Amino acid sequence: MYNELEGIAHYLQQLPGSSIFIRYVKSSYQNDPWRSLLELLLFLFALRVWLSKRTRRDAEKGFVGLSSTEIDELVDDWQPEPLVPQAEIKQAPTIIGPPSIKPKVSQPGQPSDKARQVTNLVSYNFLGLLGDQRIKDAATKALRVYGVGSCGPPGFYGTMDVHIDLEKSIAQTLGTESAIIYSQGFATITSVIPTFAKRGDIIVADEGCSFAIRKGLQISRSTVRWYKHNDMNSLETVLDSINREAKRRKAPLTRKFICSEGIFQNDGSLANLKRIIELKKKYKYRLILEESYSFGVVGNTGRGMTELYDIPAKEVDILVGSMANTLGSAGGFCAGESVVVEHQRINSAAFIFSASLPPMLAVSANETLSILNSSSGPNIVHSLQTNIASFRSVLSTIDSIELASHALSPIQHVFFSQSKELQIISTSQKEKSSEEERVEAVLGDICDDALVNGVFITVAGHLRGQESDIGALSAGSTGIRVAPGGAPPPTEPRASIKIAISSALSKKETEKAALVVKNSINRVLKRRA
Amino acid sequence: MSRSSPTIPSLVISPENNGESSTQAQTKRRGRSSSLVSLQEVPADPQETLDQGALNNYNADWVNFKGAWLMHLVLVTLGKLLIDALPGMTQEISWTLVNCGYMAVTFLMFHHVKGVPFESNNGAWDELTFWEQIDGGAQYTPARKWLTCVPIGLFLISTHYTKFQSWLFAFNFVALLVTLTPKLPLVCSI
Repeated sequence: MYNELEGIAHYLQQLPGSSIFIRYVKSSYQNDPWRSLLELLLFLFALRVWLSKRTRRDAEKGFVGLSSTEIDELVDDWQPEPLVPQAEIKQAPTIIGPPSIKPKVSQPGQPSDKARQVTNLVSYNFLGLLGDQRIKDAATKALRVYGVGSCGPPGFYGTMDVHIDLEKSIAQTLGTESAIIYSQGFATITSVIPTFAKRGDIIVADEGCSFAIRKGLQISRSTVRWYKHNDMNSLETVLDSINREAKRRKAPLTRKFICSEGIFQNDGSLANLKRIIELKKKYKYRLILEESYSFGVVGNTGRGMTELYDIPAKEVDILVGSMANTLGSAGGFCAGESVVVEHQRINSAAFIFSASLPPMLAVSANETLSILNSSSGPNIVHSLQTNIASFRSVLSTIDSIELASHALSPIQHVFFSQSKELQIISTSQKEKSSEEERVEAVLGDICDDALVNGVFITVAGHLRGQESDIGALSAGSTGIRVAPGGAPPPTEPRASIKIAISSALSKKETEKAALVVKNSINRVLKRRA
Repeated sequence: MSRSSPTIPSLVISPENNGESSTQAQTKRRGRSSSLVSLQEVPADPQETLDQGALNNYNADWVNFKGAWLMHLVLVTLGKLLIDALPGMTQEISWTLVNCGYMAVTFLMFHHVKGVPFESNNGAWDELTFWEQIDGGAQYTPARKWLTCVPIGLFLISTHYTKFQSWLFAFNFVALLVTLTPKLPLVCSI
């Protein structure tokens, strides 16, 4: 035994550097067993750490490791769903030829030669400029000069003089310092929000915001607090609670935004811009206003929410709109101070990574703007407002529906009243579908009936299951999802029929179309009862 | 070094969707070996995890670069030489200063400052210290082992050269505890 130890000690002494180690151990002891024990423990701890097995990284937690055979088997098993559900396409009515206020529409499942001329309350043809000869001419002229596409992103030889002209005239129309145009309407707000807000920033948003805004908020990774739809008291309470919370936590100062729509896509209600601006100033927030459905429509000359409330557009920090609705073109715009605009030119994903708007469409949008700015502009807007009013007056006589949209909104949503909705849900045969889908089925019957009677309307389209899929929206480091006085993250939008009113129709024609819709609602509900 | 992509192809199954039962049912039916399938809870904010894995974290990845380990020794030696160069410096004070200095600097860098000094991954690392960012939160990786063992080694050497004077020993030991405690896996991510 002793010999063995001696042998080991001898062997140790043979190792290079062992003499230093032995000297160290010998001189360390120094008649102090406790300290030596401590040092030994430290050494053992280091040894234990060194010999421990690596654990998973955070991103790997919750992953299931599969062998390559298992993966192959899963891949073989996988049956891809069709990209486009065939059945739904067959059921939809089809517009034959170019869309206009009176297009030819074939009934679902019928051949195209049986198409009938109907009144179109589906297209966002608010100003009645769909297929307008002046715009057609301008577009044709631009087509001959510039060709079809712009062939490049704006920062990379995709910008042409027509784009700059359009940006200038949007800024001029609104009275802002500058404007920037995007090539897709949906992607505009989805890209603008993350351009300015990042993780840790605070956005206070209306719970009724559209899908595009919700996606933008999600992509921005900001801390999002929701306030009750169009409820200014709720907004103030939420802003106040954020202030108090920041004070309590001594949180660093971050960028803070209020986000709202002008006219809400999901229900056609009108935001109280005046109060929002007051609150934004009081609590030192910036305002992101989505004007896709209000620009070109409200206000005496159609300049949107700011004109309606008689507020200079400069007060809105980031004013976003779509050119695919009122302007009858495509793409979107964002207007504001020139620093706001210039920041987007090098930071906004949708601006940098998409080809710019085809010049032809830029010219069309510009032409619509110049018509709106001409002396006939106020008349068009006025006749649109008259049509909305007459449409609403016809439909307001039905008890079982709710006209939740504002009297100025060019899109009018027809909801069933709460009691009717509950009744439909409980008596529906479609047991497997969601509540919204059950209501939508009945609304679809109304649309079909209206089409047979010569008015083309449609159920408001939603990506069911996607729009409410924002539960993952960051609550920030605080973990609070519902601010006091605020609203929880929004869920599925209510099912409705979305009707686009147009100034292309006369007051009488609008009333007649409204009457058809009214009769269809009554007929379908009677049939169900 | 390439911590952005896990080498094993993997599948996320969230526990809420009864992923466990269906996986097991499939496993039984198909007669696969079940030893490979293990389930762990999905982290609270999947978006944050997603963003963290989206790009390389240049703030923390250098610990796995070539020469990163050697650099520690080089810097400690340089610091020692620099302090020794001061007039009137004794070995005891010099070693204590080197040890405490190393502990202070690493504590500040690894355990105090949060986030990334530059724009990275849309702020996905904002709430995490450098130590928590290393190797994407995996424990007992080579880099972590090295960074845990270096201060222990440095402490043992410096107590040795301070001739075990009790006050200097106390200083050095407290400094070691302060830097070692946040390195423990249990304390991590608090």
